[in-house]
Amino acid sequence: MAEKTCPVRTTLIYLSDLIDSGSLTDPKIRRICEQILHLTEEISEGAAGNDHLLAIDSLIREYLDMKKSKETLETGNILKKIFTDNREIFQSHIETRNCPSHDCGKLAPSPCQMACPAGIDIPTYLSLIARGEDDKAIEVIRRDNPFPWVCGLICTRPCEMMCVRARIDTPVSIKFLKAFAAERAMSEGTYKNPKKKGWNGKKVCVIGAGPGGLTAAYYLALMGYGVKVIEALPVSGGMIMAGIPRYRLPREVIDREVAMIEDLGVEIAYNTLFGRDITYEELKNEGFDAFFIAIGAHKALDLGIKGEKIFPKVLEAIGFLKDVALGNHHAPGKQVVVIGGGNVAIDAARTSLRLGAKKVTIAYRRSKNQMPADIEEVEQAMEEGIEFSFLTIPREIIGKEDKITGLDCIRAELIQKEGSDRLIPVPILGKDFIIEADVVISAIGQYVDDKGMEAFSQVNWTRRGTIEVNHASMETGMTGVFAAGDAVSGPATVIEAIGGGKRAAEAIDRYLSHIPQPRMPKIPVRHHMEPSVEMTATRKMTLKHPAMPMLNVDRRRTTFQQVELGYDEESVRKEAGRCLRCDICRRCGKCIEVCRDKMGIDALQFGYMDFDHPTGTDFRVTEKKCITCGACAANCENKAMVLEEKDGRRNLKLCGTLLNSQAIQYCENCGAFLPSAEYHDFITRKTGNRVKRTETRLLCNDCLRLLSAKTNVETRPAGLK
Amino acid sequence: MQFQKGNKIKVFRKSEDESWEPYMDDFIGLHGFVTDPDTSINDPDALIEVSLEGKGTHRLPQDCLEQIH
Repeated sequence: MAEKTCPVRTTLIYLSDLIDSGSLTDPKIRRICEQILHLTEEISEGAAGNDHLLAIDSLIREYLDMKKSKETLETGNILKKIFTDNREIFQSHIETRNCPSHDCGKLAPSPCQMACPAGIDIPTYLSLIARGEDDKAIEVIRRDNPFPWVCGLICTRPCEMMCVRARIDTPVSIKFLKAFAAERAMSEGTYKNPKKKGWNGKKVCVIGAGPGGLTAAYYLALMGYGVKVIEALPVSGGMIMAGIPRYRLPREVIDREVAMIEDLGVEIAYNTLFGRDITYEELKNEGFDAFFIAIGAHKALDLGIKGEKIFPKVLEAIGFLKDVALGNHHAPGKQVVVIGGGNVAIDAARTSLRLGAKKVTIAYRRSKNQMPADIEEVEQAMEEGIEFSFLTIPREIIGKEDKITGLDCIRAELIQKEGSDRLIPVPILGKDFIIEADVVISAIGQYVDDKGMEAFSQVNWTRRGTIEVNHASMETGMTGVFAAGDAVSGPATVIEAIGGGKRAAEAIDRYLSHIPQPRMPKIPVRHHMEPSVEMTATRKMTLKHPAMPMLNVDRRRTTFQQVELGYDEESVRKEAGRCLRCDICRRCGKCIEVCRDKMGIDALQFGYMDFDHPTGTDFRVTEKKCITCGACAANCENKAMVLEEKDGRRNLKLCGTLLNSQAIQYCENCGAFLPSAEYHDFITRKTGNRVKRTETRLLCNDCLRLLSAKTNVETRPAGLK
Repeated sequence: MQFQKGNKIKVFRKSEDESWEPYMDDFIGLHGFVTDPDTSINDPDALIEVSLEGKGTHRLPQDCLEQIH
């Protein structure tokens, strides 16, 4: 191992290489090494608890006690020596949550990966997509998320919000690239499950076949657990099937990815409501060792206005969307008013329109800018002819007999409350009006339906009506019972549920393997560094975000066909190439400082590297000023900036982007390598070493000295031409 | 404080909310972005999703966050 690098980091590299090499053929030894790796990762991240080193000691003892072959015994002894010799450093990482040499920080992933609640290694899979290796990209994504195709179509994409490329022009279209890769891999038959481990004799019961539940089921099945999923609906997918309309997410996409999970041996019991169709005791008697609750948040909040409970045509958005998803394609009415401003409200409105409603209005208390719905969804709804009534507070649903005639509303203004900068919608007296309607759909939020959960008597509930867990391990107050997804967070995002499901699967494995749980939720880790895509600075700067081809508006208003049609292959490869590879370049800015302040050249116009105050960026500027001195590359700790000599040229590259290329020169006298003409000129100007001979001949320093000496002596030095 | 998607924030103090867990003490002083505000009812009491520099993405109570510019 390298002497100057942090032993925690070198241990991580050693264990990763060992596992990746495929040399650990014994499943038990492989399992122990993987567990030691996970615990070491948490020590490196500052997420380890006091029991971590003790657990590693115990695993090493278990390893050595197995008395396997000489080679494996040697590995065990190496591990023992690492953790004995560097005990204090490991302990210090745990206690201070800091790496004194900052080597552990070098594994820090890109902002997009950090932003992803599932921690997907985005730069790696974008590089693979740019090179056309879609199957490998899917393999990388599925390490952290078993639903790349689903998320490629409906993710809220926090990654794109953090994308550093947005500081130059627009964020990389990460979401759609993922969808393309998944579709292509599925189409070509290269979308495959990883090899699962043999059954370890233990069984886990998952309650809820939504994104959280199925994610946990997937990772548990891969780890060798027997998994049974209990699902109340006749279909899989939970909220992604029942809550997201088909024009955003076709059913086939969900079915194909769920089928991949079922292929691992996961059993899904449909039409089985926990507590009604099957009880906790019955499941315990079936021999389940752990339970995972992922029941979602499917119960709608009441509007709390007059008339809500009188008319049958007052619908809950979530129930309405579920009915449509399960096949009820009758128009809810002719004039529909949807109350709310989130994505569910937009989905209910656009679905009503597709079912034949003549007029659909969304009534929202605040202004457009404050709508929690995705801006793309709002814009698409507007294109389709959905009307928006902003600053509208509903007061009463009015009608005759059991038929709705309208929604009585009052106009609001946004007022800042004293002592707060929060804008509150306040009714304006006398500004009341009626929106004509025969259907009112409520979409103001959901909560967790705890019916049937009484069986988990020691599970605690928060004042928000969600299941209380330790977020590091997703453990509830009841031993052996874990929970994640909307049931824990309240209504949240699909990718958050997936992240929670993965975290819970790891925690269940630890619980059943008697490995200590982490102190805090796992920070995403970059395990691998894919080579950068090579391109010129001009290409990197001029590649533009492609426009998404859309279904025509008439068809959007009348059918449930997918609205966003996806990019073509050429656009996908180009778009993936726009990635700046922030997993390699950490934007520390040392290269800029050295070039500008130490060398006085200022050839690096990388304004995007300033997180707080980004300024202009143009990679093409470098070529005009750079002298290929290599000071930037020499000071780049992560080797993001490299100076390479190839085919007679000296090339400066930042994560694959060719910033400058200058011809290598040779000494006219001895043939030795010389810096570029620009560098040579720069040095001679700086040092004042501009003698007559350097102006006429290209010489290395040694030859220049020898020739200069000639002017002082009469005799020509021996060996010089 | 009303947070919106994309707001730059700082965890400026420990929250008094029951959802605050001991490991979250590590987050105090960190900067980040709001990635998913309260999605439906603009509830000041709701937990919101933030991506914190170097620590990943978490759902936190709003009383520990302040917007920075």
